[in-house]
Amino acid sequence: MKKIIALLMAGLMTATAFAGCGGSGNKTESKAEDTTAAVATNSASEDDWTYLQNKGSMTIGITYFEPMNYKGADGKLTGFETEFAEAVCAQLGLTANFQEIEWDSKELELSSKAIDCIWNGLTITDERKANMDITVPYMENKQVMVCKKENVEKFSTAEGVANASVVAEAGSAGEDVAKGDAFFANAQFESVESQATALLEVKAGTADIAVIDYVMSIGTLRDGSDYADLAVVESQAFAPEQYGIALRKNSGDTLTKVNEAIQAVADSGKLAEIAEKYNLTDLLLVKPAA
Amino acid sequence: MDQFLSITLQLLEGFKENCILFGVTLLAALPLGLIISFGSMSSFKPLKIVCRTFVWIIRGTPLMLQLFVVYYIPPLLTDGSFKFSDRLTAALIAFIINYAAYFSEIYRGGIEAIPKGQYEAGYVLGMKKSQIFFKVVLLQVIKRIVAPMSNEIITLVKDTSLARVIAVGEILKNAERFTKEGLIWPIFYTGAFFLIFCGALTLLFRFIEKKLDYYKG
Repeated sequence: MKKIIALLMAGLMTATAFAGCGGSGNKTESKAEDTTAAVATNSASEDDWTYLQNKGSMTIGITYFEPMNYKGADGKLTGFETEFAEAVCAQLGLTANFQEIEWDSKELELSSKAIDCIWNGLTITDERKANMDITVPYMENKQVMVCKKENVEKFSTAEGVANASVVAEAGSAGEDVAKGDAFFANAQFESVESQATALLEVKAGTADIAVIDYVMSIGTLRDGSDYADLAVVESQAFAPEQYGIALRKNSGDTLTKVNEAIQAVADSGKLAEIAEKYNLTDLLLVKPAA
Repeated sequence: MDQFLSITLQLLEGFKENCILFGVTLLAALPLGLIISFGSMSSFKPLKIVCRTFVWIIRGTPLMLQLFVVYYIPPLLTDGSFKFSDRLTAALIAFIINYAAYFSEIYRGGIEAIPKGQYEAGYVLGMKKSQIFFKVVLLQVIKRIVAPMSNEIITLVKDTSLARVIAVGEILKNAERFTKEGLIWPIFYTGAFFLIFCGALTLLFRFIEKKLDYYKG
């Protein structure tokens, strides 16, 4: 009798546990299926531009950095790219939604449609062109050396740089320069996690020179920042590059539409106005049509 | 001083996300972990295998990868038809599943440490299996697992900052913004938030352990 009761009880407990376990395990999956069914009309063959139009908005993937996208004193998102993107979206008849992303996951964000474009000082490279649709170049950038103010003179020649320790963000254009350019042939190179870390290294004295984006240096080396004792070595510039906006591969009409909208914003004089506001006029590439 | 206050407030806004992640994960993973532990101890073989495989997969892969899987795999498979409208929800699901797996093993250790004699004594007294579990075993299990649980829970506090990999605006991600604007100290200052939170938790667990110290078991 005792054995039978024990068996029954064990069976009951197993059953409850099973129900609970099975239920919880499937929760996310079934939720996914339901939603898929609900929006099944949103077919896979629909092209990118139709998708954006139906949605009525463009989700723009950004990371925060001055002067491109940053929070102003009033806590609101501002910056060159912010205003530029808003102007282009207005031209397209879409609402601009800004979404902060993790830069390393930008391609994943784009292809999973978590965002619709990457608009955040993205350097145009052949590799990126192969994987994403990229708009006309709208801005120029270059790599510059940043060091302590008192060292600017010393590091403006290749002899001065010999034996100096140089840092740059891993995988960045700055790294290519620091590793490949003859100017740095006799310097010690180390890659770090981000451009901000590279500056921190120089500030802390653990490295002598950071090779970073010129645009980045405009935002960070201003008076009153923690990096005010650092300066750009203006006499040397490397690896000129161009910024573009990345859209999903095979985005169809979207690419054409965005390119047209960029030109329209430039023609109206609005683009030059925004660039001037953020001291980026010299770097602008899209000129109003004559 | 003004700047310090405004940055503290902005960091607190990020820390709110960490607190939500912590609270909801704890509330959901504690019972879910118990259910999984029943499954792993079940005498019904298939269920046992399923639960133990689940625990193996979850404990055997990085939480960072699990966050990626939960957030990016559904839209990638459905061409964007199904996606989380809210990144925090995706992070919560990943955290709950991950922590439930760890908790289930702690429960299992605690439950299996209870001598068989106690169950037998319960049967002799005519108690039902559920009565034995809830009235005799569970309290002793709780007492035994307070220490390993508190360890895991404190780890959870700090793990919440991992949610940044799918761009949840938690405190470290918030602080990094300032680094890019030329302010270094906020990123280190975030440590204070975690220290205070974990300090409070440590005191709470010490109190609970003391409360449960009235019998030896």
